[in-house]
Amino acid sequence: MNLDDFKSTWQQQSSETEAAIKIDQTLLTEIKVNKQIKELSEMKWARIIESAAFFYIIVLLWQYIVNDFSVSAPTISALILNIFAIVGLAGNIGQIVLISEIDYSKPVSELQKGIYRVCSHKLQLTKLLLMSVPFYMAYVFIGFDILLGVDLYQQLEQHMTWFYSVTSIILLIVTTGVLTKLHYKNIEISWVKNTIQFIVGERLVNTAQFINSLEFTDS
Amino acid sequence: MNTTKKKLFAQSMEQHKGIVYKIVNSYCQNQDDRQDLAQEILTSMWLAYDNYNNEYKFSTWMYRIALNVAISYYRKDSKREDRANANDECIVQIADLSQEGERSEEVKQLYRFIGQLDKLNKAIMLLYLESEPHDSIANSLGISKTNVATRIGRIKETLKNQFEARES
Repeated sequence: MNLDDFKSTWQQQSSETEAAIKIDQTLLTEIKVNKQIKELSEMKWARIIESAAFFYIIVLLWQYIVNDFSVSAPTISALILNIFAIVGLAGNIGQIVLISEIDYSKPVSELQKGIYRVCSHKLQLTKLLLMSVPFYMAYVFIGFDILLGVDLYQQLEQHMTWFYSVTSIILLIVTTGVLTKLHYKNIEISWVKNTIQFIVGERLVNTAQFINSLEFTDS
Repeated sequence: MNTTKKKLFAQSMEQHKGIVYKIVNSYCQNQDDRQDLAQEILTSMWLAYDNYNNEYKFSTWMYRIALNVAISYYRKDSKREDRANANDECIVQIADLSQEGERSEEVKQLYRFIGQLDKLNKAIMLLYLESEPHDSIANSLGISKTNVATRIGRIKETLKNQFEARES
């Protein structure tokens, strides 16, 4: 038997197939929401709340900058953290737009990529957090300034300044390497797969593998 | 949605409901999943019906939605936490393929074969069996025609090898 024989068998089963499924049309046309719509709506609300949180952080940091505007380590730190908060807010707004564009009648590859982008939000947030790791001293400078009213940078001896700078550069290299690898295209690499699975779950891994299989023969 | 639209939808669904049966039997291994997926497909279609574009054949539009829902369908827990919900509002009843004695062995064999394929090849195979031309399959899946042709060629090869192995 070959695929063409299968095709004729498939087409002959039509009447039997229709008898094997019964739909309650009345109940169906009363449905206002299903699991997927509910899930997307929950995601949308979560992104709206996160956007509000990011906006609040941005306002607080601007207030902090404006209140004591000077070229000091805490002010520069606040500016750096503000950039991350703005990126976070922009990402959240992008997510809200993406969620509202999810349409199941789109071609499979387009929709699956959309679903991947929507479901990978937690991964993107983790990436954003990782991106801020090389700037960890920014948190320390602001913390010291707010809690103790001390500009820690002024108190640091030169060898410590060098130590923190070198640490930041090393962290920048490491996190850049990790972040560029953490992508669905590298899902076959086991540590990438395990990290994505740990952060976002198995579903995203499955979607990533599917998208890769779509692109594999097309490339 | 007005009554006319509801009627139109119901008519079209009755005409093409076999598509749902074929897809759930190709994508799910057990009856609970089939039932649940069928419900998800049907409700997704109903909720998307307002945006149905008449330029497409209803069956093509239906295949796209059904395949998209089936491919993104994911259930973490096999204990079926929402089975109770499914019973509360049982929109669809699907006959269990394994219990259908009268169903020809060839059809069961065909479903077994489709069941072994990956998600993308399943979609290609289903559309191919419906005699969809390569460019229509490529359009529905958003991949190139060459990709479709290559994959169909590989599926044919796999099928041939399986039969040869069985005969020997």
